Amino acid sequence: MNPAPAPYMIRINGHLGATVLSAFPALAPQHHGAHTVLTGLLDRSALYGVLAEIEALGLDLLEIRRLAPERRSSEPGDSR
Amino acid sequence: MTVVPTTPRLIDRRDLLAALDRAAASKVTIISAPAGSGKTSLLRAWVGRAGRPHRLALVQVQRDQNDAQQFWLALLDAVRRATGANSDAELSAATPDFNGYAMVDRVLSELAEAQGGVTLVVDDLHELHPPEIPAQLTRLLTNLPPNVHAILATRHDVRLGLHRLRLAGELAEIRAVHLRFSERETRELLEASGVALSAAGTALLHQRTEGWAAGLRLAALSLIGHADPERFVAEFSGSDRTVAEYLLAEMLDRQPPDVQNLLLRTSLLDRVNGELADLLTGRPGSEQILLDLEDTNAFVESFDPGRTWFRYHQLFADLLRLEMRRTLPAEIPALHRRAAGWFSRHGQAAEAIRHTQAAGDWPEAAQLLADHAFNLTLDGQAQTMQALLQAFPPGADHPELALVHAMGDLAHGRLDEAAAHLVVTETYAETTPPGRQHSLHVAIASLKLSLARRRGHLAGVIEQVRFLASPLTGWSDEDLALGSDLRAVALMNLGTAEAWSLGVPDAERHLREAAALARRIGRPYLEVGCLAQLGFASIFHGAAMPKMEAFATTQRRCREAITLAERYGWGTEPVIAPALMTLTSTMVFLGEFDEADRWLRRTEQAVQTDTGPDIRLLLHQTVAILHACRGRHHEALEEFGAAEDLASQMEGSQALARQMTSWLLATQARLGLLGEARAALTALDDEWTSSGEIRNARAVICLAEGDPARALDALHDVLDDTAPVLGYVTLVEAHLLAGLAHRELGDQRAANQAAERALALADSDRLVLPFAMTGSAELLEALPRHQTSHAALLADILEVLHGSSSMAKEQSSFPPAKKLSPGELRVLRYLATNLSRPEIANELSVSLNTVNTHLRSVYAKLQVRDRSSAVRRARELRLLAARRTS
Repeated sequence: MNPAPAPYMIRINGHLGATVLSAFPALAPQHHGAHTVLTGLLDRSALYGVLAEIEALGLDLLEIRRLAPERRSSEPGDSR
Repeated sequence: MTVVPTTPRLIDRRDLLAALDRAAASKVTIISAPAGSGKTSLLRAWVGRAGRPHRLALVQVQRDQNDAQQFWLALLDAVRRATGANSDAELSAATPDFNGYAMVDRVLSELAEAQGGVTLVVDDLHELHPPEIPAQLTRLLTNLPPNVHAILATRHDVRLGLHRLRLAGELAEIRAVHLRFSERETRELLEASGVALSAAGTALLHQRTEGWAAGLRLAALSLIGHADPERFVAEFSGSDRTVAEYLLAEMLDRQPPDVQNLLLRTSLLDRVNGELADLLTGRPGSEQILLDLEDTNAFVESFDPGRTWFRYHQLFADLLRLEMRRTLPAEIPALHRRAAGWFSRHGQAAEAIRHTQAAGDWPEAAQLLADHAFNLTLDGQAQTMQALLQAFPPGADHPELALVHAMGDLAHGRLDEAAAHLVVTETYAETTPPGRQHSLHVAIASLKLSLARRRGHLAGVIEQVRFLASPLTGWSDEDLALGSDLRAVALMNLGTAEAWSLGVPDAERHLREAAALARRIGRPYLEVGCLAQLGFASIFHGAAMPKMEAFATTQRRCREAITLAERYGWGTEPVIAPALMTLTSTMVFLGEFDEADRWLRRTEQAVQTDTGPDIRLLLHQTVAILHACRGRHHEALEEFGAAEDLASQMEGSQALARQMTSWLLATQARLGLLGEARAALTALDDEWTSSGEIRNARAVICLAEGDPARALDALHDVLDDTAPVLGYVTLVEAHLLAGLAHRELGDQRAANQAAERALALADSDRLVLPFAMTGSAELLEALPRHQTSHAALLADILEVLHGSSSMAKEQSSFPPAKKLSPGELRVLRYLATNLSRPEIANELSVSLNTVNTHLRSVYAKLQVRDRSSAVRRARELRLLAARRTS
């Protein structure tokens, strides 16, 4: 299991406002139609923390996906 | 944590209630649905209905509950209230050494004794975090007595081993789809709130919220008294924002500023009362606002009968907290500081520490936690304390926390880690101001003693910490209350350590002083602990004084300690184990073997969770002498061996070790293992070989070798009182061995004299053990009745000896071991564990049916009816220790 943070995309139903978004400071929000898409680098425990917040705030989780790491990303140790 | 049922202010959801009625006919019902689905409201409405046939035990799990004990105590209380159990009979008090499985059994036995049906309700199960909870709950739920039902509400599915219930159709579930409001219910909710909305508007609202309960209730709050409800719904419907956030903002906007202010600021608390809210808002009158809020909506609720403490609906509180952080971030630390101060002043240390941490005042939080570590532990909040410890940011250096780490290590038997943390604490103590230094030193000394006790390395430590026994000087006034807990624990540890190293008078004095102090400061746990250790200390005392009915005194002390422990529901907790163990031992000494058996069971239960070598060693020793007295030498040897293994794990030599080695050697000799016994004897040092106990062992070996003359040589110094002995039991034993030797040599007159001397010594206590252990029945029978002035004792002893030997024969002639198949034996060995039958099936990778079939035939072959007697029978027949015997 790779312990390094990986990019994730999380899709939630509805537009999250400033109040709810403040629960996800590590993620960047974008509105896609009627959905909100949150993206960011998360390690395992951060990911489960985000899922717990989604549960606590009663949000409607539609999709969660780990994105392919960008080529030539600055992942430490890649070049060695 | 427990909830008083209140009258529902919500609409009557007839269909849903009927669904729950149907579900509740099953053994277990699980309501699993996301935040805001209306789980709690449903439970309240269901509970609040009149004419319920079942009594209710209702527990609402506290937010972020990390402490299994707090939960189980609340559940036990709720069950007791529901069943109307006699509240004077037994309290249920928190204890530092909590045993979750024993508690599950207590809850089950309370339920089993209840007349009529009981329904257990646990709400917010998802907040219960301790990792052992699922297994404990599974045990509860799979063993519910007939006529008891359980309903659990949770935000997400919890992994419980309810497979068997599911297969049997005894598990019902209510999920989000069932909780969803229908359009008709939406209309009824609006009507009940006095909101007039068109059919189209109602449909739109229902569609937009998707029947989500929290959304509809928030909407109803905004719609009450709204000038244009249709427009509100249209705007809401046209918005893409999430339901809860949109509606919360609307609802807050409609509140007066002082209400908004109160809601935001107090959202930082898990529970709030008027005084705390006044403190956080900086203005009076908060209690009335809270009461009004409870009366007008479902998101604020009181949870005590007097309506003084309130809490917010979780989802609502979470949203308010986020809003607070977003809009007034700068104020948050100061608010937490104020809350911490309030909780601290009201003696709620855990809460005070939590808020100090939340304020980011880490050094202060570390100091608070270290200061309160002893009383949190004594309050039975060790798990809470460890959770607080985990909350400190990693890498931050707070040396005072090493003390708290050391306590946790000790509690879990991580002795090396505990020692390392104590070293850190000692170094730190040198750098602290004198005011704090004293209490730190006492804390360190107390923990060192406790550590030394567990390692069996006592003498040196006792010297170092004698200062604990000095009176309270150097305490600042505010330290005194804190200091009393600390001092009582320290004295208890000192007295216990002294008892173990045979410093009996000091031990008794310190334990009595600690018990008196514990009583004065209202710490029953410590009082019970001290009295239990006093019982243990006095068995040595008894052994040294043959003329004072010493064993009877010891028994009385043990029973007093046990009675007090029972009053707090600690009758089978580790804290009382020393007294249970000592009582069991005295019964063996007095020849009450069947009674000893009963108490042994209970002692075993009490030490279940205690893996310390000290207490386990005593347990094996007690079992061993019971076997030895019954002439079951093989079994005795195995137990003595186990005790010796444990003794070798302990650093120093403990006082009773000599006695145990003596009995071990004698048992080997009686079994004909002469080579082993001789070899072990040769390996002992001079101090031991010159002692009365080891001389007795040498005599037993000589007798077994057929050399009674050398046996008499070995006994010479014991009989003329020049060899050091641990107690007069050794002397009685020596006289009996001499009697046996004289008989072998054909000198009946000397044999009779020896027997008579043994009886004379044994008479005041009516001691039986040495007669049974040495196998002196024939020696006593040969003693003419007119030659003894202890005829009554003689008769008693012979009766015991004949009784136990016939029983031993009867049991050893019972041959079921051969009849049990390997599969049955495998299942049988799991019976002694905490595992349920489905779990055993899982462990063995066989089906539950196979396990059940095996069990039925095991029960039949062992001629028992239930699991516990099967285990008992299997222990007697030594079927549980396969690897050692086969």
